[in-house]
Amino acid sequence: MNKYWQIFKISLTQELAYRLNFIMWRLRNIIQILVFFFLWDAVFLGTNQIFGYTRIQIFTYAFVLIIVRAIIFSIRSNDIAGQVANGELTNMLLKPINYFKYWITRDFAYKFLNIIFGIVEVFGLILILKPNIFLQTNPFYFIAFIASLIIAIFIYFIILSIASFVPFWVPEIAWGAQFLTLTIVEFLSGASFPIDVFPNYIYQFLRFTPLPYLIFIPIKIYLGNFSYSLVFQSLVIGIIWVFILWRISNEVWKRGLKVYEGVGR
Amino acid sequence: MDKAIIVDHLVKNFEVNQKEPGLIGAFKSILSPKKKQVHALRGVSFTIQPGELIGFIGPNGAGKTTTLKTLSGLLYPTSGFIEVLEYDPWERKPEFLRSISLVMGQKNQLWWDLPARETFELNRAIYEIPKREYEESLNELVSLLEVEKLIDTPVRKLSLGQRMKMELIAALIHKPKVLFLDEPTIGLDLIAQQKVRDFIFAYNRKYNATIILTSHNMDDLIDLARRVIVIDEGKILFDGAFEELTNKFAKEKIIKATLSKEYPVEDFEKIGKVKKLAFPQVTISVPRSATAVAAAELLQNFPVEDLTIEEVSIEEVIRKVFKGELHKNR
Repeated sequence: MNKYWQIFKISLTQELAYRLNFIMWRLRNIIQILVFFFLWDAVFLGTNQIFGYTRIQIFTYAFVLIIVRAIIFSIRSNDIAGQVANGELTNMLLKPINYFKYWITRDFAYKFLNIIFGIVEVFGLILILKPNIFLQTNPFYFIAFIASLIIAIFIYFIILSIASFVPFWVPEIAWGAQFLTLTIVEFLSGASFPIDVFPNYIYQFLRFTPLPYLIFIPIKIYLGNFSYSLVFQSLVIGIIWVFILWRISNEVWKRGLKVYEGVGR
Repeated sequence: MDKAIIVDHLVKNFEVNQKEPGLIGAFKSILSPKKKQVHALRGVSFTIQPGELIGFIGPNGAGKTTTLKTLSGLLYPTSGFIEVLEYDPWERKPEFLRSISLVMGQKNQLWWDLPARETFELNRAIYEIPKREYEESLNELVSLLEVEKLIDTPVRKLSLGQRMKMELIAALIHKPKVLFLDEPTIGLDLIAQQKVRDFIFAYNRKYNATIILTSHNMDDLIDLARRVIVIDEGKILFDGAFEELTNKFAKEKIIKATLSKEYPVEDFEKIGKVKKLAFPQVTISVPRSATAVAAAELLQNFPVEDLTIEEVSIEEVIRKVFKGELHKNR
């Protein structure tokens, strides 16, 4: 355990060595939120309900989104693909350490910083923009929201790890595979807009893919839009996805190692 | 355990995508990729006793690094048997990984933006080294390599040689029993090279560590290795004591004569290959079996004041190994 605690600490130190970089990344997050805010502010001009969302709900969506993004999307493990492609993975393979645990630890360190900043930003933006926001007070929804976030962290980590293993076979597309995955994830997870604005049959289909469990479902749970049974169903589907993806990722990893050449080192 | 390392008929093939040059070639390789098998190792066998220090030599692309990587569990062998400290490297068991280290001249495990000390601390946790033991070996390594003043400087501000020393410390902090060193002195200045060599020698003695060393630096090999393994094109050409290298591979001997009168080069070329002619000295290389005849001929036909017969120098033999010339002469 001490191993991973040390990794956590050195990751934090490393992040702080890159202060400016970190601030830019946070700035990018704020801009995305502002775009979201002003877009929907314009959409709601003269009307109070759209796609089944009230004004207050959509703005709550936006602000919960800041926090959820900070928790789910802030990762360091996007370096895995590069490590596989350029042979830096060799360093890690030589050490008595679990590669997955190593990266999830580094992710947690990064998330820790981002959550702190995310919370500060949200309060700042609330003070400036003064939107109407819904605070969830029902403990059931709140606990389910936290649980759904933990599930989301793992789903995201595993999906990205699978994409990151592509360079075992095709080192040239290390960045390409990841970029494509991120784009699809961003679009279908609810990070750009709530996905129930899609026609119902598409929405029902997406509900059984892992992607909405990253952003959309946690926020819906927070908003209290789901019945208790639907909350349970969502959490169970999320957990099932964690296991399925985990098995896939492990299998890909094992096969990848067999063809690994440790080039360039 | 009477053998530290056992390698038996080790074969490793790689698949390499072939690409034609240019844009059209790039498109072609996407549509119909052409794969080529590269035979990096073609049946390599050797065993190493605990505490041995072995020089692994051969030209670029001979299979040295591939062997070391397979021994450290990085590469999956195509076929054959390997055992290191009675472990199968490929399983990469934590106990196995704690007892080995692979140091590559161009590899960096140090965290670029942080002082080297942070990486060492991290390794302490990863290898689960007790605090006191860690302090002791860190102090020893740091003073031996004379980097006390640099350990708290961010790595990116260190020079290549300073970084290499830090890499060595990071790789040895857990006191591995088996050490694979791939070009450990690359990029170091002469004094630092000597330091690293002394250090490797002392480490081998002190901990009875088994060490395989590859190097293109002749001094590394001459100073350190008692036994050498020569490898080329994925096959072992020689495995034995360093001194036997010359007997085995030097097909020629060197005759040096001091003359009292000057002669044109052509006169000596009948006897053997003239390596150097600078009156009054002439150096001729002749086939080993014809040495006596050649010497007699020289003595008979030329006014020789002095004559010596020498073995080809070990440097010469190693130079040939690096050029990949050995198999051609066999």
